[in-house]
Amino acid sequence: MSIAELLPVALLGAVLGLDVVSFPQAMISRPIVASTLAGALAGSAASGVLAGAILELFALEMLAVGASRYPEWGTASVVGGALFARMELAGWAGALPVSIATALLTAWLGGWSMYLLRRVNGVLARKRLKELDAGSRSAVLFLQLTGLTADLVRGGLLTLLAMIAFAPAAQYAGREWAFGAARSEAVLLALAVATAGAAGWRLFHAAAGARWLFLGGAAAGTALIALR
Amino acid sequence: MTANLTVPLPFLTRAAMLTRLLAVQGSWNYEILLGTGIGFCTEPALRLLPGGAQGTAYRQALARQVRYFNSHPYLAAVAVGALSRAELDGAPPEQIERFRTALCGPLGSVGDRLVWAGWLPLCSVVGLVTFTLGAEPLTTLLVFLALYNVGHLGLRIWGLNVGWNQGMRVASALDHPALRHGPVHITRAAAVLAGVALPLLLHRFLEESRPLIGLTAIAAVIVAAGLVRLNGRIEGSRLALVGLALLAGFSVIPW
Amino acid sequence: MAIELFRIDDRLIHGQVVVGWGQSMGLGFIALVDDEVAASEWEQELYRMGVPPEMDVYFKTVEDAAVALDDWFADERPGILLTGDIDTMLRLIELAPAVRSVNLGGIHYRAGRDLRLRYVYLTTDEEAALRLMQQRGVQVTAQDVPSARPVSLDDLLATETAK
Repeated sequence: MSIAELLPVALLGAVLGLDVVSFPQAMISRPIVASTLAGALAGSAASGVLAGAILELFALEMLAVGASRYPEWGTASVVGGALFARMELAGWAGALPVSIATALLTAWLGGWSMYLLRRVNGVLARKRLKELDAGSRSAVLFLQLTGLTADLVRGGLLTLLAMIAFAPAAQYAGREWAFGAARSEAVLLALAVATAGAAGWRLFHAAAGARWLFLGGAAAGTALIALR
Repeated sequence: MTANLTVPLPFLTRAAMLTRLLAVQGSWNYEILLGTGIGFCTEPALRLLPGGAQGTAYRQALARQVRYFNSHPYLAAVAVGALSRAELDGAPPEQIERFRTALCGPLGSVGDRLVWAGWLPLCSVVGLVTFTLGAEPLTTLLVFLALYNVGHLGLRIWGLNVGWNQGMRVASALDHPALRHGPVHITRAAAVLAGVALPLLLHRFLEESRPLIGLTAIAAVIVAAGLVRLNGRIEGSRLALVGLALLAGFSVIPW
Repeated sequence: MAIELFRIDDRLIHGQVVVGWGQSMGLGFIALVDDEVAASEWEQELYRMGVPPEMDVYFKTVEDAAVALDDWFADERPGILLTGDIDTMLRLIELAPAVRSVNLGGIHYRAGRDLRLRYVYLTTDEEAALRLMQQRGVQVTAQDVPSARPVSLDDLLATETAK
């Protein structure tokens, strides 16, 4: 991909990476949104939403509770959606599994980059503890604006680096894929649906009867397919 | 615990606080977590203290508000409203500090249950169901974003208002039925829709290879059972990454 | 089932406890052990708001908790006992030898504390208190959420501090 093609994708990754935690947390960084937007940018929103739906299933697994570490889906979905849109347009058999694998890898790297950013924010805050203890408005503004800017840069750089580092290998694998598109997608879907199903099963434990409702919903969904 | 409201909150100040709340986690770190963010969001209100932004009261209050704090980011609005009110009402500093500490846990717990474990998964599966029903990409995206942000922005606005109106008596507001019982109802709705969405997703992707749908569903149930049994010790996304890497190796490398 | 987790967390009742641990354990009750909270109605009211309606929360002083432990151990529901600092947990252990394991879930930064894990900062006095627990046969590990890898006290204290 040329720089002219990469830059808009990196910019989108920057904005959506920022949304994950720092600003405005409106969930434009959720895979179903981020991947669709990246797909549209790469020429196919329809491809983007397909990859986004699968990544959304994986994202359901991780609840951002407390201060725990979790994968970062904003930039990951931009990478996955952009890659899949380009590869699907080329008609390559391995397009979907390879794009999703690249996105999953980016999500884990993104989680690690957020951990690093938080450490950097901590170092900056510690250096200004005396000013904060004195009620310095400029120290507060400095920390907030530096943190927001750093997160924006983090998302952009991560997207850019992931595209530069992973896209050539991903495109090679997508093109040379010999396992068959349908069978590969079946394996991918089994893993994605299993992940979301297991996450739901744990989550629905919190409400009496919810697991039965989940099973009932699954029966209704299966019946709908049979009737089609 | 009760205090009379001495200073009204001007509209522009309230709007500034609400806008800043969207960036409350802007400097999140492992040392003081949301602390600086709470100071950043209460700061417009603290300028109303006697002496204004150059006064001693302002600096002392801001110093209190930037200390360690942790809560759910959306419900941080409750803390921002209540703490601003307590400062402007002139509550004793030591009482404000204890109140601030006591707010952390409940606002984190209620927010995590209501939003991360409730509203977000529900909106996510609504988006997935919309997708499986064949909606256009833009429609899918807008349904998810519109639904989610009605709850998201509503919660932030409600939080700031209720925090400001109730001040240090805000615990009674957290007893709101929507916060106490909402997560259970939201979880049940998410459960039904997730159940419907998963088979429909299989159908949407494997429509042209129908015989694979049943096999894929069985494989998914077996893997899901394994993941549940492992109780979070292995994440599905990591398992998938390893599985897909192996599949890529098998599929691409000429053996 | 009884108490499955004795946790030190300065946030006390919050999302990691109620959602993170609560969902994987099927949590039935939380025992919050803190002398100041046990004496403060309005703080109890706030903390009560943090748990689902179907979950019980008990507020006790250290002395009262030591007495109530037998009842909590006999409870059929899974429970978590929480203290907000190391000193409170150590006082409980001294009164109640039945406590055999302690989880460090969140001890955050303040002046004088050094970084051990991203969610555990300790002073030298706190390190000594944790060592004392270990010498009394209590297994001390750090783990913020169930999916995280538990870190033993030896490994925790062997990590280089960041001042």
